[in-house]
Amino acid sequence: MNITVSKKLDRVFPYLMVLPAIVLFIMFVISPFFYGFYTSLFKWDGLSDMKWLGFTNYKHVFGDPQFWNAIKNTFVYALVITVFKNGIGLALALMLISRKHGTTFCRTALYMPVTFSYVVIGVLWTWVYNPTFGILDGVLNLVGLGGLSQGWLSDPDIALYSVAAVDIWKWIGFHLVLYYTGLQAIPETYYEAADIDGANWFRKFWHITIPQLNSVIVMNVLLAITGAFVNNYNLVNVMTQGGPFGSTDVSLTYIVRTAFSYRNLGQANAMSMVLFAMVFIIGFAQFKVMTREENTTD
Amino acid sequence: MKNRHTAKSAISTILIWAVLIFFLVITIYPVIWMIFGSLKDTSTFYLNIWGFPSEPVWKNYIGAWQYGDLGTKYLNTIIVTGVFLLILLPVNCCAAYTIARMNFRFKKAIYTFLLIGLMIPGGVLGMPTYSVALKLGLVNNLIGLSIVLAGQAISFGVFLLRAFFVSLPKSLEEAALIDGCNRFSAFAKIILPLIKPAIMIQIVFSGLNTWNEYFLSNLMLRTDALKTLPLGVIKFIGEYSTDYPQMFAALTISTLPMIIVYILAQKQFITGLTAGATKG
Repeated sequence: MNITVSKKLDRVFPYLMVLPAIVLFIMFVISPFFYGFYTSLFKWDGLSDMKWLGFTNYKHVFGDPQFWNAIKNTFVYALVITVFKNGIGLALALMLISRKHGTTFCRTALYMPVTFSYVVIGVLWTWVYNPTFGILDGVLNLVGLGGLSQGWLSDPDIALYSVAAVDIWKWIGFHLVLYYTGLQAIPETYYEAADIDGANWFRKFWHITIPQLNSVIVMNVLLAITGAFVNNYNLVNVMTQGGPFGSTDVSLTYIVRTAFSYRNLGQANAMSMVLFAMVFIIGFAQFKVMTREENTTD
Repeated sequence: MKNRHTAKSAISTILIWAVLIFFLVITIYPVIWMIFGSLKDTSTFYLNIWGFPSEPVWKNYIGAWQYGDLGTKYLNTIIVTGVFLLILLPVNCCAAYTIARMNFRFKKAIYTFLLIGLMIPGGVLGMPTYSVALKLGLVNNLIGLSIVLAGQAISFGVFLLRAFFVSLPKSLEEAALIDGCNRFSAFAKIILPLIKPAIMIQIVFSGLNTWNEYFLSNLMLRTDALKTLPLGVIKFIGEYSTDYPQMFAALTISTLPMIIVYILAQKQFITGLTAGATKG
């Protein structure tokens, strides 16, 4: 009797152990997708009763130039930060890997902004960009480049890039550390063999470093892109609120505004679905890369 | 020939250090600027924007603390982060352990299912998530926010912890079971202590994300009395006539604990990051 009970318990034990994770996960990761889609078919302000609309919300979203402007800004932003975070991160990692001293200090110091909240960083950089007493214009004046000084956050042509620069600033250390770790894993003998063949720095970089670093590069690029969507909401909300003239409006700021200021949660969820459809492929690629090694070893 | 070579490498060393120092300065100086700014006198702030405060003015900190009600914000942030970790750690450890070290039907399917979260770029489904929380009555509630954030941290945590559980030798539980442990006590008493480093990484990494969380907090916490630090600091911008030193003091107050924790636990921060992103 006792033995059969304990045997039964043994059989359900694994399921009991994973159950809490599955429940929480379904509630706050899976169900938002379905509930979001469901509510996108209604006129709903989040408070009063829902009114069936069918696909009318989607028709409005597809015909809304402000939404497409926000989507365009989102992708420009994602592209800019991905290129610069990875370019600078890899370049600095290559510089550090050849040094003998001070590398730990450099990595530790450059990684520090990763730990700060976007709000603190956003506020801080709003004052760095400030036209009357910001340090950026101050430095430009000091080195005689005062002519380059801009309305960093007030010029519609520049504001989005000024915001993106802050994001890049925050994450350089993160990518630097990932690339540095990747470079450390490349066997020294590859370079020694190339030295014997008389290869120059660029040939070694192109024929050894890049191919060896391949999976690290893919991972870094994907992490930068998938991080872009919520990062830009945080910074834009703190620094520019989407202005001037919608030039820094990104998808999440516009979605939140639609839900809260225009009281149209149904339409905001329709926008979320459209955005999700557009970025899902990037997320799927990240998932594939992260689980690739596991699948080959299993 | 040899001389030319050393001269060339000396120049490249100097250039490399120039670039590194440039990035070190642009990383560190804004932070130092913030701390200096917080110690300046409001009336002389404009006269000395860049440099060292002539005489540190500590009352900015008292002013910022009172004006921003930062005590409450601190407490709220501690509650959200604490409850978040209290939920997340046991849930993730149990799930990751089971998936890593036990055999049962649908194991692979359950694991793949739990990883779907990695496919959804952060924030993209934020508004639908808010809608669900609204429906469940979790909006404007600190514990509600903790639960939602814990749900969203499951994929990454299970992924991270599983890799550590898998790396432990297979014979551990068998020995414990022979010694009379049941399955659960074998897990809790023998295995868990061995993956302490991985748990530390999860605490530091996910805890930090929650401590700094802004997007969902901003959607979900609507009352002033419930706001967390990131939401509270916002109060100091946009009011053009207020004093800047006080604003810098508020920024420093909310950042300093992170700088201290970072300096104390750099290793966890940096290994956590590389383990999370490259392991698997």
